[in-house]
Amino acid sequence: MADILEVISSRKSIRRFNSDPVPEEMIDKILEAARWAPTGENYQPWRFIVVRDQETRNKIGDLAKVGSGSRMTAWYCMGHLQKRFEGIKDPVKRARVLRFMYSGEVSEFAKAAPVVIAVLGTLTVGSVDVPYDLSAAVENILLEAHSLGLGGCWVHGPVASSRDAIKFKKILDIPTEMSAYKVIAYVAIGWALEQRKYPRPKIPLEELVYYEKFGKKDKQ
Amino acid sequence: MDKMTYCNDLMARLEELFFHELSDCAGWKTEFIGVDFIQSKNIEGTNCEEVIRSCLKEIIAAGLAEDVSFAVAGKDILLCLKIKGCIHMGKETRLKERGIKVYNCIIANMIHDQLIEKLGYETAYIADIDVDEAAGQCILKCAIYETAEKIGCVSDWSEECRWIDENNKWITLTA
Repeated sequence: MADILEVISSRKSIRRFNSDPVPEEMIDKILEAARWAPTGENYQPWRFIVVRDQETRNKIGDLAKVGSGSRMTAWYCMGHLQKRFEGIKDPVKRARVLRFMYSGEVSEFAKAAPVVIAVLGTLTVGSVDVPYDLSAAVENILLEAHSLGLGGCWVHGPVASSRDAIKFKKILDIPTEMSAYKVIAYVAIGWALEQRKYPRPKIPLEELVYYEKFGKKDKQ
Repeated sequence: MDKMTYCNDLMARLEELFFHELSDCAGWKTEFIGVDFIQSKNIEGTNCEEVIRSCLKEIIAAGLAEDVSFAVAGKDILLCLKIKGCIHMGKETRLKERGIKVYNCIIANMIHDQLIEKLGYETAYIADIDVDEAAGQCILKCAIYETAEKIGCVSDWSEECRWIDENNKWITLTA
């Protein structure tokens, strides 16, 4: 069996796309990958909405911009956002990055992505693992897109608050009752305009892994 | 144990569990808690100050808090609230004792709801809740956005808060 670590470790979140369309067969493959994600007791609570319509994507992009921007504006005003990015030493670049964040533009890219896949889960089939199953499906979507040469980004912003989640559901005609469907994210997919061979630095395993008991770093 | 203590203990457990499930985005999911009460009242007003006053009159009249002060600054985005004698103080204290950053203010949720419902505000967000159990008071910083264009209108909120205090911009409603 092929080792997919190279696919996993070379993936990064892509937020800038060119306008080239994504072939239908590729989207079908991506959805097929999502369908094979692990799911508790095989409930498969996930449902997917593939959105290509520009007007709908604009609405989603605007909602995401307001969602992220409303929080990040406050974080900036309290000084929290500046601390998060103090590692950027160039003050001009830091200011540009901060503005990109607090303006909400960081989450607006559904407008530019040729395809948006909304990931939602039915709450009515008895599954006890809906958010976890859906998260696994999102990861499969991202990995399959990446393996096909596409870029993608997992976006929680427009459904992060309860009120925004209802707005998101209304955009896509998803029933808005809390008892019916949970939307956990959308995934923006397209051909990457930005290229970075490897993603941002990761915390080394030594800092993440314990053996046998919490806190025990020694393998023996 | 009185009924309010019983109720606050239940709510503290729920919010503790909710935080455990959702970590720091728990507060983003609780914004509807309290809206049923305020939506049952006839909140009126044609601007931010009038709507907040109308909400606070109902909140205080119902005995949910004894004394609430508010001020708006920071390019009309920063809503500061000082809430004394809140019946949910016990909930906040329990959470703080358990090491959980307090994230859900029912009174702020009510005000945000009415700014959105009555004035068409784009969105609102509880940015910070400082619980001072010794003083029996919570101090909140909320972000209120009248329009989407207000997103990204930044200022230094510590300076804004100083300006509010120094110029006595607090509007206070009491029982």
